[in-house]
Amino acid sequence: MSERIVVVGFGPVAARLIDELLPAVRSGLAHVTVVGEEDDAAYNRVMVADLGVGRTTASALALADAAALIAEGVDVRLGTRVRRVDRARQQVVLTDGTSPGYDRLVFATGSRPVIPNLTGLNPDPSAPVLPTGVTALRDLRDAKVLLEAVSGGKRVVVLGGGVLGLETALAAAEEGATVTVVHNGTHPLGRNIDRGGGAVLAAGLRSCGVRVAANARSTGIEHNGPDGAFSALLLDDGSAIDGDLLVLSCGVRPRTELAKGCGLSTGVGILVDHKLRAHHEQHIFAIGDCAEVRCPDSSCVECRHAGGPSGLIGPGWRQAEWLAEYLTLLAEDSAEGILPDGVSADLRDTGSHLLANALPELPAEKPGVVILKARGLNMAVAGDNSAEPWDEEVLTSGAVTGRPRRQIAQWADPEHGRYVKMTTRGGVLEGLVSVGMPRTAAELVQLFERGDELPADRSLLLRLDGPDQLAAAANNDPARTVCRCAGVSGTKIQDAVEHGCSTVAEVSGATRAGTGCGGCHSDIKEIIEKHFQAAAAA
Amino acid sequence: MTKSADTHCPYCALQCAMTLKSPAALTPAEQPGSDPVTALPVLEAPSLEVSGRDFPTNRGGLCRKGWTSASLLTHPGRVTEPLLKGSDGVHRPIGWDEALKLITSAVKETQARYGADAVGVFGGGGLTNEKAYMLGKFARLALRTSRIDYNGRFCMSSAAAAGMRAFGVDRGLPFPLEDLDGASTILMLGSNVAETMPPFVQHLQGARDAGGFIVVDPRRSATAAFTSDGGGLHLQPLPGTDLTLLLGLSHAVIHEGLVDNDYIRTRTSGYDALVRSVNAFWPERVQSLTGVPAELIRETARRLADGARKGGSYILTGRGVEQHVDGTDTATAAINLSLLLGLPGSTRSGYGTLTGQGNGQGGREHGQKADQLPGYRKITDPAARAHVAGVWGVPEFLIPGPGLPAVQLLKSLGKPDGVRCLIVHASNIAVASPDAGAVIEGIRSLDFMVVCDFFMSETAAEADLVLPVLQWAEEEGTLTNLEGRVLRRRRALQPPEGARSELWIMARLAEALDAPSTYSEDPETVFEELRLASAGGLADYSGIDYAMLDRGEAAYWPYPAGSTGTPRLFLEAFAHADGKAVMTPVTPRRRRTPAVNPDPDAKTMTLITGRLLEHYQSGAQTRRVSELMASQPEAKMQIHPAAASAMGITDGAFVSVANERGEVVCRAELSTAIRPETVFLPFHFPELESANRLTEAATDPISGMPEFKFNKVWVQLAKNVLQTSVLQTTEAS
Repeated sequence: MSERIVVVGFGPVAARLIDELLPAVRSGLAHVTVVGEEDDAAYNRVMVADLGVGRTTASALALADAAALIAEGVDVRLGTRVRRVDRARQQVVLTDGTSPGYDRLVFATGSRPVIPNLTGLNPDPSAPVLPTGVTALRDLRDAKVLLEAVSGGKRVVVLGGGVLGLETALAAAEEGATVTVVHNGTHPLGRNIDRGGGAVLAAGLRSCGVRVAANARSTGIEHNGPDGAFSALLLDDGSAIDGDLLVLSCGVRPRTELAKGCGLSTGVGILVDHKLRAHHEQHIFAIGDCAEVRCPDSSCVECRHAGGPSGLIGPGWRQAEWLAEYLTLLAEDSAEGILPDGVSADLRDTGSHLLANALPELPAEKPGVVILKARGLNMAVAGDNSAEPWDEEVLTSGAVTGRPRRQIAQWADPEHGRYVKMTTRGGVLEGLVSVGMPRTAAELVQLFERGDELPADRSLLLRLDGPDQLAAAANNDPARTVCRCAGVSGTKIQDAVEHGCSTVAEVSGATRAGTGCGGCHSDIKEIIEKHFQAAAAA
Repeated sequence: MTKSADTHCPYCALQCAMTLKSPAALTPAEQPGSDPVTALPVLEAPSLEVSGRDFPTNRGGLCRKGWTSASLLTHPGRVTEPLLKGSDGVHRPIGWDEALKLITSAVKETQARYGADAVGVFGGGGLTNEKAYMLGKFARLALRTSRIDYNGRFCMSSAAAAGMRAFGVDRGLPFPLEDLDGASTILMLGSNVAETMPPFVQHLQGARDAGGFIVVDPRRSATAAFTSDGGGLHLQPLPGTDLTLLLGLSHAVIHEGLVDNDYIRTRTSGYDALVRSVNAFWPERVQSLTGVPAELIRETARRLADGARKGGSYILTGRGVEQHVDGTDTATAAINLSLLLGLPGSTRSGYGTLTGQGNGQGGREHGQKADQLPGYRKITDPAARAHVAGVWGVPEFLIPGPGLPAVQLLKSLGKPDGVRCLIVHASNIAVASPDAGAVIEGIRSLDFMVVCDFFMSETAAEADLVLPVLQWAEEEGTLTNLEGRVLRRRRALQPPEGARSELWIMARLAEALDAPSTYSEDPETVFEELRLASAGGLADYSGIDYAMLDRGEAAYWPYPAGSTGTPRLFLEAFAHADGKAVMTPVTPRRRRTPAVNPDPDAKTMTLITGRLLEHYQSGAQTRRVSELMASQPEAKMQIHPAAASAMGITDGAFVSVANERGEVVCRAELSTAIRPETVFLPFHFPELESANRLTEAATDPISGMPEFKFNKVWVQLAKNVLQTSVLQTTEAS
């Protein structure tokens, strides 16, 4: 008998989980039901801003195809919500009137945008009806609203200086809209980036045509547009920023109400242990934006330092892949008739354990890496970047019992829009900021994710973006190999020229130089010319 | 003796045209030494004079390997008599009659005790079409074994499987090489042609002039260096992330609006599913997985699309991206990218894979693959079996079913139900196979091994019996180059007395084993039979004969009788039933966690392997050419100075490169051309310098290709080695 798995939510993380579960579905090990609130199967939310500025199409965002999944035997319910979870009966009660039962239930309910407390906006998260001209840019409908504004050359106000807000602003500006980013604090991306990087980033935004209003506290919105639509964002200093569309980009909050409603423990998100299981509930799991990995063991060191849900897609996909493997193994175990305590009746004496128990736990996520998805402005930031090179106290804190102190290496060239900061401990990155240096950023992010040691000479990384990196080092050594293909040295060619060869063809005939790829013909010519010039001069 | 012969180089798949002249044919003025400029190196003994010949592929050019190839003909180490290994481990000459009798009885005894499949055959991509064809027939009818495969499994199998899946047929370049000349953009992934086939580089000049030569390689290889000074772009991903990078490029093409929609509609299937599969790979995410900046990914996508509208765009793959456990999927991703842009099947754009071995193309078409019959037919297809059985004049049931692909075949050596008696042709498996240490152990557990070679290769040295065979300048035949063009190899001189053609050996053995059907020792007769056997297959040679090749006609397969051949495939349709190319969604799989580094002094790094200009494959030939050895006498591990200095490794220091499979000890070569977390080893060297002691025998589930290009190693300064100062000669003098 196959294991019944119900997945609540059909976003990118759920889509990944279901894809990975397909082999178990095909083999009859598992029966999967997925319940999605939207009418569309999973699509790539990361690209919604691109859709909103008309750079891509909705069909090009799809991550799953409902019809294909149904053909594979997955029970797909779109446009349907889960009313409640009946844990006693192990079933979910749906708005379509059915109540499918489950052996394993997976919450992949994601998150919803934070609606800031502004006069003129209803802050109730369960009734997210926004007035005309205001959008949170989360789903395909929101993208449509933005597209209308951008293609109409309208004025767009983005509230929030987070990475999604900046990406939306940059994309909209490049596609022709007039865009203002409004954020509190001295620089955008205040949660991630340091002051120097933030300043260079803000300058970069301005040079891309985005207006930036820093240190701004918004208090309300004005609706004097047509049909009472949004017309201006009001600030606490009494000023107002006029616009036709307000994009709210104030972060997201995990959707936990369904889990809360059925008595599961929640913090910021649904609390799960290192096997992604809800606390004290072996049959229920949570992954992606709605999940908060924090195990019930209060002495767990890993969890003491764990942040909440990252809101990034990478960790969610890694959780989905891991959980699919775990659920498949659990299904195999129950198909084998092994008892849930980990030992089968007839294997009890041999001490053979569940296949699923042998699966190593999902390793803890590193702090997320934020890479600005934009054209013309390159930025990557990760980890803790708060320390400055001369903060002796900050750098030595935590350097106890042989643990090395923090070190900072920094490069700032605001005039040219370039800034790099590397915060390391024992040569390994704890934080990085890179603005305007794409190759350096790509390399630093790699080093951060692998936890590899940086070269002692940190400037090596900065030079990746230097123009000299591409040019071959000039080599005037006469004994150098001129023709690699035939392995002929400059000396040998010189010799041939001195013995009377005056064309490339003659040199080739005498020495084989230039007889392979032909790439050295200009070098041979140069040697010939030099020789005859010298001869003429003499 | 022939005075002069127009033939092709003995080494790689570019098959550069060359002319061989015997010294007797030289006029006194042409004698070496009469010219004051005697820059030509002195060869071991008077031999043939080699010169480049004008031909569309090499345009008269040759590389150092080709120029020096004739020195092997008179090499003192040449095997010229059958050699039998005594109980003392020493090989001693025996006569041919005795040698053939020994093989016959070994085959019969092995099969009587363990069954027909206990005898195995390992072939090579260097064999002529005639020999490759005959080897497949000989194995199946004379030895009655299914256990035949060849070293092309380590070479072209991933690209071949991907080409079959997408286009319905696999021809390395489905267009003449000259088509590249006019291209504005060429994306080359995992191929270092500047070292492996230098005359090829001439065809990149147009793209370089247009600033559109784009190279994907973790190393700044000699080929990647051609992108500098405005020649194009170099993308330097982390090893093992090529597939992800390709998905990112496809994502950029789709989301930048660069897809050729008409082409997608009329010439392909599978678009929607493909789009869904690449949607998780937007450039910034791909940047964090591969280390290639997102902007470079977009720029590459734009240049490819731009090139397609101008002079043309080509995407070419090589072993660097194909020799992985996900090699078929990676080649598929490259093909998908080319299909999104509408490149394949056009007269000035396309996708191709650069075949490596001399007859790597023809060698994969005519039956030395475990699952294949001549004409690129499937051995499991009843119609294919019936056709070939008809040509061979045997009942169909006499043809065994599919055997084991190379890695599995080698893993089975000496094992219960495995191969007990092995016959090896044109292959140096002791050096060239992944996890070479385990392969050598397998070889030593065999009951009997025969190796046909003209040198005492590392594999021949392990053999019970070594049979001397002919070199390229001593034989007639055909090869099929990387473009699918069939070429004539011609004899320029008499072979040494005692050496025999493989065709002769197979004919004698077939006779001794009372095999059904016929086994000619004359290459042209065998080719005539190959024509019939290939007729109607994907690789149809039935319209090609020696006479037309000798007239210099350009014969590209498929060349059915009565046609004029096919220089460009897919112009009208792809080879699937509906005429469309199939886009198969692929995504990276999670990799196995590597073993834990047990030595705290060693640093875990990524090993990639490849070739040097001076050497070819296992080096069995090129390591015997003094000029080449003087230039590259030993393996050197390339490492970035930043990584090296942290470990106290200096240029020329001896390093140990090890993992759970084995250890290599060699000198280090410091170079900023390599990424800091990666080291490079050439795979041409044996024993303690053998890179394949470290490579993993895990294989691609579709192609059977092993993992050559992404292995974890533990690097440190070598202990117990005298760290001498380096005295290097950089130049052969």
